[in-house]
Amino acid sequence: MKYQILEHTADLKIKVFGKDKKELFENVLIGMFEGAEYKGEDKKVKRKIKVSSSDLPSLLVDFLSEVLYLSETNWEVYHKIQFAEFDDKNLKATLIGKKLERIGVQIKGATWHGLDLHQKKDRTWEATILFDI
Amino acid sequence: MISKKDFKKISDYLWEIPKSFRFDMRVPARIYTSERMLEDVFRDRSIGQLINIATLPGIVNYSLAMPDIHEGYGFPIGGVAAMDIKEGVISPGGVGYDINCGVRLLKSDLTQKEAQPHLENLADEIQKEVPSGLGRGRQIKLDIASINKILEGGVSTLVKRGYGEKEDIENCEASGRMEQADTSTVSDRAKNRGRGQVGTLGSGNHFIEVQKVEEIFDEKVAKVFGLFKDQIVIMIHTGSRGLGHQIATDYIKVMMQAMAKYDIRLPDRELAACPINSPEGQRYFKAMAAGANYAWSNRHMIAHYVRKSWKRILGEKEELKLLYDVAHNIAKIEEHEVNGKIMKLVVHRKGATRAFPAGHPEVPQEYRDVGQPVLIPGSMGTASYVCVGTEKSKEAWYTVNHGAGRIMSRRAATRKFPGAEVVRNLEQKGIIVKCRSFRGIAEEAPLAYKDIDNVVEVVHNAGLSKKVARLIPLAVIKGE
Repeated sequence: MKYQILEHTADLKIKVFGKDKKELFENVLIGMFEGAEYKGEDKKVKRKIKVSSSDLPSLLVDFLSEVLYLSETNWEVYHKIQFAEFDDKNLKATLIGKKLERIGVQIKGATWHGLDLHQKKDRTWEATILFDI
Repeated sequence: MISKKDFKKISDYLWEIPKSFRFDMRVPARIYTSERMLEDVFRDRSIGQLINIATLPGIVNYSLAMPDIHEGYGFPIGGVAAMDIKEGVISPGGVGYDINCGVRLLKSDLTQKEAQPHLENLADEIQKEVPSGLGRGRQIKLDIASINKILEGGVSTLVKRGYGEKEDIENCEASGRMEQADTSTVSDRAKNRGRGQVGTLGSGNHFIEVQKVEEIFDEKVAKVFGLFKDQIVIMIHTGSRGLGHQIATDYIKVMMQAMAKYDIRLPDRELAACPINSPEGQRYFKAMAAGANYAWSNRHMIAHYVRKSWKRILGEKEELKLLYDVAHNIAKIEEHEVNGKIMKLVVHRKGATRAFPAGHPEVPQEYRDVGQPVLIPGSMGTASYVCVGTEKSKEAWYTVNHGAGRIMSRRAATRKFPGAEVVRNLEQKGIIVKCRSFRGIAEEAPLAYKDIDNVVEVVHNAGLSKKVARLIPLAVIKGE
């Protein structure tokens, strides 16, 4: 399972899993867009992205904020990340996705509210994140 | 776990958690609700969030919640907090991502009987005319210079360009412009997101509704507001769209990094706040004001498209006048009386409506003898209310609720109420529904919300505002 949608009164809250941090980031991306039903059409797109932050949770939120900006201004949806560089504070990658066809509900922002990101005993990673919609 | 026994009953409609409840509270936390509805608030974490607000530096008297309170991020939705401008903080989380999400109400001269045969066409026309801003419909991209003018000048910029009329400025909260707006504090990314979205509705709970005045509670005030029984009115509910979301995103990050410098420690990172008098606080406030101006302009432009549709279907001579436009998500500098002295406060209203009383200088001249019109939209397909501000709501910084308040998650609602069934139920009630996705409809199913009549009854009985008219929907138009 890549992600799971949790109960929240007004917004979109997801729990995400990954064998490592890279997969975790990619699955958050997938969970966010699928959870809000962003549907792509056939036309494939690529978009370069570069983010720097103070720590890993900030990197995740800043990465998602950047992705939402790119999605809205270019009218695209992404489902894959090809990492060129990645550590706890920096990320350089190419997003792979499609032109957007339609949106179920628009995501207003990736929030810090109840944000959790940690490595489990079995060495896999897990994150919980809330999106304002 | 917080339970009813932790509350002190102040009156039938006001409950308080004392400061002693948690070590880090600076003031008590208060909620306006009925005893029966108090049970609803334990369904989610909204009361914990209300207590978190009570820990913010500079908060005056108490943190407040309106009866439509539900869980948000940082602040609960329906949360109100006033900070001392000298030593208090400002928090983007106390405004929300959708800066100046709000409501405007247009009034016609027609009764339901006169308009009914044309409503289906009208709803179609409005849906065609007002873009959702989500890829469909007309797309206009303004240049950055035009966006800057809107951010600085608000509604008056558009009126100068020939959209709308002078009354649209006078009858809008703050005359459709916060003067503190400064375009240099708004990032290029925010402006870029705003370029294609002036006059767009968005998604989620945003809507346009054609309604009729079903009942008048106060004839005198209704007359001043220009409302009469069976009259057709049109309500527009949306906000600052991507531009506002980006301002919030940008400044939550700025504040989170700056907080340590001001030695501010908070129980939830989403509450990120800086002193209002710090460079970061000032910059956020100026950017938020620009976002608010954008939102008023957005609703103003939508009203322009709605008027165009109205005239095309009902006749060129038919007018739609602006009754009022109110913000639901905003921070404002206001003067209030605290312990007998006038104090300058930064009032955060997140999912709450300002409700000034008769005689207040910020109430438009036309309404000043009776008080500010307060617009409270219900959930989709249910009643909405027009109320009027009262002197009694001084105790709540002249604030009332902003809607019904969710009680069921979007996901649960989608599972429980198939979109097609929700549409069928609304149509059986005679309501026309125009929506492109069933999901949008299912999430907003009436039963996913508290009963608006009960919620408004609380603020009416608590004296925070008085009921003037009850509106019921005839046609609902949603962006997605």
